[in-house]
Amino acid sequence: MAIAVEMPKMSDTMEEGVLVAWLAEEGDSVSAGDVIAQVETDKATMDLEVYDDGVLLKKVVDEGSGVPIGGLIAVLGKEGESADDVLAKYGGSGDGAATEAAPEPAATPEAAPVSEVVAPGGDGAPTAADGGRVKASPLARKMAEEGGIDIAALSGSGPEGRIVKRDVEAAMRGDAPAAKAAPVAQPLAQPVAQPVAQPVAQPVSAPAPVAAPAPTAGAEDQKLSQMRKTIARRLAQSKFTAPHFYLTIDVDMAEAMAFRSRLNKLGEAQGKAKVSFNDLVTKACALALRQHPAMNASYLEDEGVMRYHREVHVAIAVAIDEGLLTPVVRHADRKGLSEIAADTRELAGKARDRTLQPQDWEGSTFTTSNLGMFGIEEFTAIINPPNAAILAIGGIRDVPVVQDGELAAGKRMKVTLSCDHRAIDGATGAQFLNTVKGYLEQPMTMLL
Amino acid sequence: MAELQFREALRAAMTEEMERDENVFLMGEEVAEYNGAYKVSQGMLDQFGPKRIIDTPISENGFSGLGIGAAMMGLRPIIEFMTWNFAFVAFDQIVSNAAKMRYMSGGQLKVPIVFRGGNGAAGQLAATHSNSTEPFYANVPGLKIVAPSNPDDAKGLLKSAIRDDDPVLFMESELMFGMKGEVSDAVDYTIPIGEARIAREGDDLTIVAHSKSYWLAMEAAEELSKQGYEATVIDPRTIRPFPFDAVIDSVKKTNRLVIVDESQPFGGIASEVGFQIQQRAFDYLDAPVQRVTAKDVPAPYAKNLIEAWMPSVDDTIAAAKRALYVN
Repeated sequence: MAIAVEMPKMSDTMEEGVLVAWLAEEGDSVSAGDVIAQVETDKATMDLEVYDDGVLLKKVVDEGSGVPIGGLIAVLGKEGESADDVLAKYGGSGDGAATEAAPEPAATPEAAPVSEVVAPGGDGAPTAADGGRVKASPLARKMAEEGGIDIAALSGSGPEGRIVKRDVEAAMRGDAPAAKAAPVAQPLAQPVAQPVAQPVAQPVSAPAPVAAPAPTAGAEDQKLSQMRKTIARRLAQSKFTAPHFYLTIDVDMAEAMAFRSRLNKLGEAQGKAKVSFNDLVTKACALALRQHPAMNASYLEDEGVMRYHREVHVAIAVAIDEGLLTPVVRHADRKGLSEIAADTRELAGKARDRTLQPQDWEGSTFTTSNLGMFGIEEFTAIINPPNAAILAIGGIRDVPVVQDGELAAGKRMKVTLSCDHRAIDGATGAQFLNTVKGYLEQPMTMLL
Repeated sequence: MAELQFREALRAAMTEEMERDENVFLMGEEVAEYNGAYKVSQGMLDQFGPKRIIDTPISENGFSGLGIGAAMMGLRPIIEFMTWNFAFVAFDQIVSNAAKMRYMSGGQLKVPIVFRGGNGAAGQLAATHSNSTEPFYANVPGLKIVAPSNPDDAKGLLKSAIRDDDPVLFMESELMFGMKGEVSDAVDYTIPIGEARIAREGDDLTIVAHSKSYWLAMEAAEELSKQGYEATVIDPRTIRPFPFDAVIDSVKKTNRLVIVDESQPFGGIASEVGFQIQQRAFDYLDAPVQRVTAKDVPAPYAKNLIEAWMPSVDDTIAAAKRALYVN
């Protein structure tokens, strides 16, 4: 029996992967662990390994095609073996068509390309009314976990759509619909499903729907990348579900500037990474989070809990050409400034090379975003879920200040904290912000 | 092997044990001169005489206490209740003395006594005479509770109960006294207390049922089989200690469980089994545990109502189908 190579789930937020490049050809012999293709996820371009030995019988998808998790990518088998059985299984409805088409095997699979079976991203209302909770029997959950099946992608045949043993068995046999039209695991499909802007142009070959605007000259459509789709979905989810409020404070950065240049002079001699203002802010936030545990939290409605994180992991927003990534400086509260500087530099480099791995971006408890280097004085950021807050950092300005009744030159930086009001109240956010300000205005205290 | 009625199997067990051990005696209302309310002790007065087959006044509290005292002094009494419904007036003796004496005396005293009699609903006997009393006593640590479903088990388990050094409550169904079945006549035929009997094997679901309910379960299983679903039927035979391991092993194979239990649903035997299974075999369950019990109201008198009140074959099939998701 030939073996199906399916799209794996390569990150927590991944729903679909794009096959960027084939690295093996049909007829090639492959062994378990060989990389046969590259797949672009929402976060990175990753290698697709095979888990079996055999011959690559069929490349099912073309380069550039998106495939949902669990979708068929390729078929492996013995030399000369037919891929038809596997193709028929993944062909969707697969009734009768496969047997009738036997004399001309190529026709069936191509008539129903697997990559088109499901369009994730929720262009329908969610089917489960239960806040997106997947209903499954304990046994079905265990079987799915052991079988490496994403239970959220199955359709349940039990009461109220409960996924039961027979559904998982069907999925293991491969004769169940790979996924339902609107995945239940996506509670926020509704807001996302109503895009604010209509696409500006329709492909010419397709008959334009009545409501679609006419193609405009001088516009160009670019297929959404996985990363852009994910950013759009997650930011919309955050902004539409978390009631944001914003607190801005002005920080006197004179001490911090002097402190930083002293520190870097000392560090240079020891060959340490240069500490940036951003590193100072990261450290200040991490220490403040430890003092204000209410800020280091996640509001998890589905689970009915407020989760207070015992560890402090600060994510740093990094802009790259394709979008935005948020690698995480782990245990930032326990790290020294030059260690934070080194971590940040390494993570930013990986982000730009798109070589970040899931462990680099998962598990943040707080996020900072800095646009100071672009001359932005102040701005508000959208919370990076499931964090409860994000700090938007503006640039340091020379400003006139009144000191002892005299006008003087001062260095000021505005930071704005966006808080999820479900998790954090105004006073909590304000106290946290004052602690951050205190650290930055007396940076030596961060070393205590 | 001999074909015996349920009542004859009980009598055989008592007779053999009384012949074997002179400390064993039988006491209760009408057990001697009248040969027993349900003729369980027929002929035993003639064989053993009035010192060992003792008629008592209507005084369950009194003769239960007398029996417990005798047991503490080294005798091995069998106390017959005409029905377990009448034992409520002896509840304090059973629960406070029989169950706890060994514990409270630090093991210095033991109470080797058997309380036995008819249990459960039996046709139109109305609310006060239709209790399935297992759960009341099952709540009390220190008591063993046995509830056989057939004559052979009745004999083997009653002999074990009489030989047991702790108080055993032996519950018989009034509707089963006339039931016939093959009974072993092997010398010293005993069945250990606490071991389930797998009566039927099937891969699709597990049905647990004791005493009279066992027969409902078997009938339901046969009907389900005609419809293409094969059930394992487990007769636990003993309520305390309950043979949970047998049920867990079966649920691991079938992933579905139905408990048929004639007692009341709230805090009943089915509730305890359901709880233990979800706790100890959670990852093997593919459907919520189902139970079929008496309805949660006092037993009615009218024939059609008492029939609706008691668990039925149809109820059991419906519960099985809910567990199988084929409704």
